[in-house]
Order: sequence, then C-alpha cells, then structure tokens
Amino acid sequence: MEDIYAELLQKTAQGDQLAFKQLYEQCSPKLMSLCIRLMKTEALAEDVLQEGFIKIWDKADTFTPGKGRAMTWMSTVIRNKGLDKLRSLKTTALETEIQYEGLEFASVDLEPDKLENLSQDVKDLMLCLDKLKPDQRECILLSYYYGHTHQELANKLGRPLGTIKAWIRRGLEDLRPCLT
Amino acid sequence: MSDIKTTKRYQNPELFEQLAIEYAVGSLQGRARKRFEALMETHFYLRAVVDAYENKFASLVELLPDVQPSKKVWNNIDSHIKASIKASEQAKPKVAWWKSAFFKQSLGMAMMTLVISSILLFNPMTKDSSATATAYNAILESDTVGVVAVTKILKSDMKLSIDIMKPLNIDENMELALWCHPKDGGMPMKMGTISKQGKTEIKISKKEWQEMKNVGRLEISIEPKNSKNTREPKGKVILKGNLNSAH
Repeated sequence: MEDIYAELLQKTAQGDQLAFKQLYEQCSPKLMSLCIRLMKTEALAEDVLQEGFIKIWDKADTFTPGKGRAMTWMSTVIRNKGLDKLRSLKTTALETEIQYEGLEFASVDLEPDKLENLSQDVKDLMLCLDKLKPDQRECILLSYYYGHTHQELANKLGRPLGTIKAWIRRGLEDLRPCLT
Repeated sequence: MSDIKTTKRYQNPELFEQLAIEYAVGSLQGRARKRFEALMETHFYLRAVVDAYENKFASLVELLPDVQPSKKVWNNIDSHIKASIKASEQAKPKVAWWKSAFFKQSLGMAMMTLVISSILLFNPMTKDSSATATAYNAILESDTVGVVAVTKILKSDMKLSIDIMKPLNIDENMELALWCHPKDGGMPMKMGTISKQGKTEIKISKKEWQEMKNVGRLEISIEPKNSKNTREPKGKVILKGNLNSAH
C-alpha cells in the first residue's frame, strides 16, 4: 500500500504550508481519535493534537520515508506528546466518556471493505496480536490506545494487579518473535 | 559502580528488548519509564530499538474510527506557524539588509556587496556548512538481521561512539573496522577498529569533524587483525547505514 502522506510530510519539511494543511485535514481525524482515548477529555485531546501538529511542522525534516510510514511517524509523535502531557498533569484516570470505551474497532473480525483500506503493517500486527490469549491482547491494546496504567487496568478488568502485570509481560514476550 | 552495573544490565539484549517493547506499548510506567528515558539519552541503541517497536505499534492508529477535531485546533496551529515564520524572518542575519540595500544603493555599493558576498561564499575559512551541525548519527544494518549498531558523533565531546546491539561473531584473528565513505565517491576514511559487542568510543580530530559533512555512508567490514592496509576495506562489509546530520 502506497504511503499517501509521505509526500505531504516531505513538502511540509520544506516549509510548504498548503501541504501541511492537507496533511492535517487528512490525518487529524484518526489522530484526534487517538488523543481523545488517551486524554479522556475533548479539551485535553485537542491541546495534545495541537501541540503534536506543531511538533510535526517543526520536526518534519527528521522523517525518513525508508524507515517507516508517515502516518506511523506522526502517530508516534502525537502519542508521545499525549503520554508526556498525562504524566505532567499527574492526573489519576478520569472517567472516559462512554462512547470512547472498548476495543470493538480493533476487532480481528473486521469487515472486508474495512480490511481492504488497511496497510500491510497493521494487517501483520493484527495477525500477531491474534495469536495472543484474549486477556493478554486486551491488556496490551488498552495500554496502547488508552494509556492505562497497570493499576487502572486491574480496576477496570477487576483482576489482581499481579495478574495484569503478568498478562502484559507474557503477552509482549510472545509478541516479540512475531514482530521481528 | 552502580552506573557500570546499570549499563551492563541494559546491554543485555533480552532485557532491553523487553523493556523497549513495554515502553513502546505504554505499559512501562512511572519511575521505570522515566529511568528508561534517561537511559535512552545515553544508550542510543535503546532509542533505536524503541523506535522500531513504536513504529510497529503506531499502525494500530489505522483501526481507530475518525473523530473530527474542532476548527479552532487548526486555527491555533496556523496562527502559531505564521507567527513563528514571521519571527524567524525578523531574526534573519545581516544578509537580508545587504540584499535590500543592493536594490537601493548605487552601482558602486552593489559592486562592494558582490565583493563581500564573494569573500563570504568562497573563502575556505568561512565556508563551513557543517558549522550548524552539532551531531551526526547513523543506524547500521545488516542484510540479514536488520539494525545491529547505532553510531553517534558529537561535536560537544569530539567523539564517535558506536554501540553494537547484537553481538557479532567473528574469528579470533579478525577485527571490525569502521569506514566513512564520501558522498561523492572516492577513498573512504578509516575511523578505527571497534569492539564486536557493546560500546566503542573513538576520539576524532577537528579535521575529521569537518570532514563529516562530506560523508554519506558508514560501513563496518571484517578485516584481518593488525592489517597493514588502512586505505580501504578489503574484507566483507557486514553493516552499513547512511550518516545523518543533526542541528
């Protein structure tokens, strides 16, 4: 699958504001979706999205197309911004708005037309995740999408903290050989 | 002593790979996450492994349903960018003054500007495009096992550091040599021999630092120990990667 955003990101690196606007218009809905899951409130999510895109503008020249896809590079920038913000706020988990709970969107049984639009990278990753036990898979995805701590996962899933830690550790141990 | 222990601990590939994947997925938290971030600053192989895992997991974002942010987000970003561009234009050096003067002053003044510009452009004492670079780095990969080593060259301590993340098996009578290849071809520059695992530091001269701006690619080859040939790699090149500058 062609990296449709790489060219826009490279133009952004050269100071092309129009390309950056197009990049924002096309990518911000997915990245906002990530921000709102991590940050729990719309206001904080929009702060992170804004700061993240300013960083993308400033650092676009560090993107190397051969090393990964533009969307994955931008997602990492935005997610790390979100995790830094969460840590700086030192907030305990706020209640997630009900429509942003769950992992239905990451189901392995996606409809064919949705699957068609996904990159090979995410299809490969889903195959790897599908090999894990459901509990391990759920904990890993909740950590990624919602930034939950071990304790938050324990509370959310009603399991002892030690069990959650073990699920994540073993799940990632099992995932590693599949990813490399 | 404890620093040495910590360093050795994080050179255990099993351990740091596990920590790197936990960091990337977000399950490494609290003080452990902060400690790991501090280590990534000094052990750049950790950064490279984390980058690789972050790249893998980032594709998960594709699965998310779209959520449209409000218009004010773009408006704020746009204002910030326009303000920063304006600020950087105002902060531009005297060249801009000379440029504007060029069109306003007499021919004599224009000629003087040309002479001064020529001196600035062609005088080897002032022409140094690497002056703005503060560091260079390269990720060295093998054709079979991917990323194996990370190299960093810092102006601040005039050192080249190379971390071999996955130990390399070579015969006892052989050694690893690091080479810098010029961007426009020509003879490579041998930087020295390096350890087959862990970190090696090589002190570089001012001249070598200045040469870095012309280097396009780093390579590691296997050479016989104490080989007299130092002009170019004779043995098999096992790792290579492009050199990137940082400002």
